[in-house]
Amino acid sequence: MTTSHRDTSSRDTPHETTERDESRRVEPTAAELEDMSQPELARLAAELDDVDIVHNTPPWPVPGTRAERRAERAVGLWFIISALSALAFLVCYLFWPFEYVEPGKPGYWTYALYTPLIGGFFGLCVLTLGIAVISYVKKFFPDEVSVQQRHDGPSTELARKTVMAQLAAAGKDTGIARRKLIIRSAGAAAGIFGLGLGVAAIAPLVRNPWKGGPKAALWTTGWAPNYPGEVVYIRADTGDPHDIKLVRPEDQGAGSMQTVFPFRESERDDEHALAEALKRADNPVMLIRLRPGTPVIQAPGQENYHYGDFYAYSKICTHLGCPTSLYETQTQRILCPCHQSQFIATEYAKPVFGPAARPLPQLPITVNEEGYLVATGDFSGPIGPAFWELGGNA
Amino acid sequence: MTTSSPRGPRTRFRRRVSGVLALGFGLMSCALLYTALTPAPQVAQAQGDAALIAKGQQLFNGNCVTCHGSNLQGVQDHGPSLIGVGQAAVYFQVSSGRMPMARQEAQAIRKPPLPTYDPATEEGAANLEALSAYVQANGGGPVVPAATGDALRGNDPARGGELFRLNCASCHNFTGRGGALSSGKFAPRLDPASESQIYAAMLTGPQNMPKFTDRQLSPEEKKDIIAFIKSVEGDYNNPGGNPIGGIGPVSEGVVAFTVGLAGMIGFALWLGAKS
Repeated sequence: MTTSHRDTSSRDTPHETTERDESRRVEPTAAELEDMSQPELARLAAELDDVDIVHNTPPWPVPGTRAERRAERAVGLWFIISALSALAFLVCYLFWPFEYVEPGKPGYWTYALYTPLIGGFFGLCVLTLGIAVISYVKKFFPDEVSVQQRHDGPSTELARKTVMAQLAAAGKDTGIARRKLIIRSAGAAAGIFGLGLGVAAIAPLVRNPWKGGPKAALWTTGWAPNYPGEVVYIRADTGDPHDIKLVRPEDQGAGSMQTVFPFRESERDDEHALAEALKRADNPVMLIRLRPGTPVIQAPGQENYHYGDFYAYSKICTHLGCPTSLYETQTQRILCPCHQSQFIATEYAKPVFGPAARPLPQLPITVNEEGYLVATGDFSGPIGPAFWELGGNA
Repeated sequence: MTTSSPRGPRTRFRRRVSGVLALGFGLMSCALLYTALTPAPQVAQAQGDAALIAKGQQLFNGNCVTCHGSNLQGVQDHGPSLIGVGQAAVYFQVSSGRMPMARQEAQAIRKPPLPTYDPATEEGAANLEALSAYVQANGGGPVVPAATGDALRGNDPARGGELFRLNCASCHNFTGRGGALSSGKFAPRLDPASESQIYAAMLTGPQNMPKFTDRQLSPEEKKDIIAFIKSVEGDYNNPGGNPIGGIGPVSEGVVAFTVGLAGMIGFALWLGAKS
């Protein structure tokens, strides 16, 4: 085992250190170097670095004893266990059945063991590798104690003065101080290069949320028609983006709610667009069908937004953008699970409790001549948390 | 006075008769057409046998009338009208012990069903059937499928899980552990609910739960959802050993930090002490 003790107690003045440096430096001649063996060279290297090897005992002074072979096998065994677990991890990861099986069905336990197996083998691999390395070090590294002297204080006055003079002379000799053009052009090259690096690092963090003016992403959602007269249908999500289930009024009973998304006929076979419509953050809408005769208060200007007992509100909380889909059909409250904001479904989803300050934006809906529920435009306001331009509407 | 024709009165009589006949024929054909074309009523009315309904009425008058009114019309501040809630609502509320309610509070809670209506006993099941037949006879409403138990579990719990997360998980948590609602109300744990009770709850939307008609979630989708709920119930689907409450990152994070981190620090200290 190698240990370095820094011993400064006996020699604590710079003066003494310098003196010692001088006395120690007994450099061998070229002929002597030729004759030195490898261990002697190694010892010399330590001496030149001011390292005293106090003692160095090899762990196995007599090579090839039974005890040594046993120790070697023990270390090797740990490495072999590590290699085998790595192999087992790879095999399980590639070939073990990982597809979900319901409990109680045949093959459930095989499936259920998938994660524990790959985790277990991976962990075993790393753990035994560590044990192998540590036991190798413990069993086969020589027991050594070396002492290295610490060099205290700054360099000598002489060394400092001469080095500074050398640098200054080098600068003077090349005449860089007089070559203004080279200084400036080099500065320009380095400076512009650095600026470019900085721009490349920072530019991706800067987005322009106002891009597109009134059609900017801040103001519009996936419900906004792309051209005047485009029909934006209301679809349900059944878990499969290609299973397009358009919503008709008779699909929902009184006192029900479902989360719906926009659908355009032009996107029917477009996998990317279908996934985008279901995933876009400002698209989810709660389509609520109230019980008949429920008294409702409409927001001014939004009297035509509902269709019969159907009301469509954005699912994104106006506080910090969580999904507010906890709808209570008796109290008509819509709850947000994150910070307990509550909105009243029968009063244009205005907030009645919690930190949200703005009603959930309402989506204008109607039924088209085919009998499907469709959106007649974009929301009554921007979706989600407030931002500066909302001003008094925030 | 000159008559327009010698056959005048007769013609008038004939015209009247033929008019009456034509009107009669028209009305008759309208009626025939109407009876032929009118669809059967959408809501299946359980016309069940009168004795069963009478027994149900008797039970209703014994246990429910105080809050739901003598004609199921409901009582202000006590209980809602039961007209049109259907057999499924009665089955859900009574078999899960929520009704009769012990006291007026934030919401009815699950408790062992009243022995009179315990579906596990023969007499209780008969009483429950009579009571729900009586409510069903007054306004109809959704009906629980005749199948029970495993027959209500679909074949695709994975799709059920997808639908559960889309429709149910916001209140009931992603493995059906339940969660808080406003003012002391809560979405209950789904573990103790039977397949029929879960199906009935989806159909009827008990208390503050929205209702999911068969057009919104088809019977097959409902059965897949039930298969998912049953597959994550309790300690049933738990190869990791302990679900730690099944509430996700909060409890799992606490355990990872306290147990995992403490374990690693302890191991590091042990290693340091050894060398």
